[in-house]
Amino acid sequence: MVPLSLMKTGDKVVVRAIQGTGHLAKTLGQLGIIIGIELTIIQKAKESVIVRIGESRYALGAGAASMVLVEPQI
Amino acid sequence: MKDIRILLAGNPNVGKTTLFNSLCGVHQHTGNYPGVTVEIKEGKRQINDHSLFVSDLPGTYSLSAFTPDEQVARDALLTSNPDAVVQIVDATNIERNLFLTTQLMEIGLPMVIALNMSDLADEQKITIDAECLEKNLKIPVVRIVARNGEGIEKLVDTIIRVTEKKTPVDYKKIEYPHSVTTHIAEIGNYLSSHVSLLGKLSPHYAAIRLMEGDEHLEKMLHDQGLVIPFIDKCDPAERDGIAEDILLARYRTSEEVTTCAVKCSMGAVMPADLIDQVLTHRLFGIPIFLSCMWFAFQITFSASNPFLVGIEYLFGIFTEMMNGVEMDPFIRSFLADGVIGGVGSVLVFVPSIFVMFILLSILEDTGYLARAAFVMDRFMHSVGLHGKSFIPFLIGFGCNVPAIMATRTLQSKADRIITIITIPFMSCAARLPVYVLFAGVFFGAAAGNVIFFLYVLGIAVAIISAMIFRRFVFRDEPSPFIMELPPYRKPSGLAAAVHMWYKGKEYLKRAGIVIFGGVLVVWALATFPVGVEYGSVDSLAGILGQVFQPLFAPLGFNWQLVVGLIFGFVAKEVVVGSLGTLYGGEEMLESSLAADPTLSPVIALAYMVFVLLYFPCVAAFGVIRQELGNWKWTCIAVGWGILVAYIVAFITLHVGSLFIGA
Repeated sequence: MVPLSLMKTGDKVVVRAIQGTGHLAKTLGQLGIIIGIELTIIQKAKESVIVRIGESRYALGAGAASMVLVEPQI
Repeated sequence: MKDIRILLAGNPNVGKTTLFNSLCGVHQHTGNYPGVTVEIKEGKRQINDHSLFVSDLPGTYSLSAFTPDEQVARDALLTSNPDAVVQIVDATNIERNLFLTTQLMEIGLPMVIALNMSDLADEQKITIDAECLEKNLKIPVVRIVARNGEGIEKLVDTIIRVTEKKTPVDYKKIEYPHSVTTHIAEIGNYLSSHVSLLGKLSPHYAAIRLMEGDEHLEKMLHDQGLVIPFIDKCDPAERDGIAEDILLARYRTSEEVTTCAVKCSMGAVMPADLIDQVLTHRLFGIPIFLSCMWFAFQITFSASNPFLVGIEYLFGIFTEMMNGVEMDPFIRSFLADGVIGGVGSVLVFVPSIFVMFILLSILEDTGYLARAAFVMDRFMHSVGLHGKSFIPFLIGFGCNVPAIMATRTLQSKADRIITIITIPFMSCAARLPVYVLFAGVFFGAAAGNVIFFLYVLGIAVAIISAMIFRRFVFRDEPSPFIMELPPYRKPSGLAAAVHMWYKGKEYLKRAGIVIFGGVLVVWALATFPVGVEYGSVDSLAGILGQVFQPLFAPLGFNWQLVVGLIFGFVAKEVVVGSLGTLYGGEEMLESSLAADPTLSPVIALAYMVFVLLYFPCVAAFGVIRQELGNWKWTCIAVGWGILVAYIVAFITLHVGSLFIGA
């Protein structure tokens, strides 16, 4: 597993874990970013990323993106 | 004869097993390891008088070990005490690979990096400076192509060399925030008297792992009856924050090293996401945003100009009509100076405000503002603000009151307080009339630029204030930024108009009640005591202005300007309204200001700066009190604004005189 913040633009990944207890996972969960969901990285600016789930886009700052552990889909 | 035990570590699919096969001359099946049954493969290579024992670990992205295969790799690395660790790094994806490097380095074992798939990297037009990588990490880097055995001999030589080195390793240090370093040292210190419990871990590295949230280690130490300093007193949220700080520090390190050592061309781009990739580009994002804002303010100033002329013309007609009618001089003064002079001078700026609202709402409707928030997040974060604070800030350009209420979306209390304190530095629409008036009179063609400068100054002051409060008052980091980005839409003219009307109406309502009331009071103060010349030094307004004027003498403000400031506490629009009243009505205002010998462009600039920063207005003050929930922070917020306004206006006056001339 690798933090979302290290992926590249265009990568497809599956969320495998969300680090930290409670708070962040809850916030992300509200947006549908949960374990098992597939994301497409459509932008990466430094450690911040924009991901797409279907037609929804979410911006994650460096802090948040680094706590989301994903598995690249090859 | 000497035995050397090495571990092959690395991300999955970087060619570890291929290298293992080349090293040991075996034909292990290469592939991934699905499921939970993972094992470490062992092999052996004979080189002269050395026996190289090679263990091929399951692929792992990090040592946090969330999955069983990662745990196997972690346990081998942390407990088997090898002579060296060889990390295989995929040359086509260095940054992600280096993240593991930053973790391996800290274990403190001798290390070699095998840069694999360099041939693929070449194909993908990725150029890697291996020397630079090596110099940066202070870890030997060997280029290999595991598939055909290229570079293997050199790799073996390097492995033997690092294991024969007697000096302790000295890799690149990861720069953790100061507070984290302090706690690591504290915990490390404590653990050094319990080394026996740590197995193969050094106290320092064990401390880092505890700070990172290694529950396994923490539980083991607790089972031994240890009370770990700092860690045991931390609440979960604080622990998360620290874990995040450590992760971020590692990413920064891997990113920093990558940036310096790797040059690559752009990857494939999906057409649907192209706009996002341009607008939120790491380099172009901020310039694009600033250009948008600059154009918005230029348009605000120039597009509203014809309306301004029209409204001024209408008020001129009213004044003339009144002059033709017989009426009591008292009532005439009330209507001419108070109503037309005061309210009129505010109303002429309504078009500017409407134009600004319509531009803001167009930007919002297109979905761009949310992208702008993303673009600004990293920057906001670096100055101690939350990325989400950006939206309240933008709202603040319209009106500070809803902006302060919008901070409710921030979850952390510190983030909220800092944002609320800094929002009033966002130049709200009510301040625009003051700029339009003074910049127009004193700066002519450069007015648009002066106004843009004021907006930027407000932002700069907000940033510096945020940094000061984050640095000295709230030491913790801003909480993570997560935001949904709305889809891009073509802005609908109707929606923008409705939006504009809704916002503009608020302004008109205020202009109608608060500002009207305010200018009436100013009119009364300028008229009484009975018999004095209207708006003269002897009037109540004049006396009031003169009482406070000495306070503002260092800033070069005359008593009329001071009266404007006093009434500006009610609402910033009243500043112009009261000046309109004191300077002989809306019609005369501009020419009287231009002709006043006590004023100059640089004083005008200092005045605009002071108006920008000193105090939002009574309404905003009420909301600040309500949202902060106590008087202490409310007073700090207001006091800070006034203090900053005075200092910055003073600097503006003195530095400005050097350029503009007194």
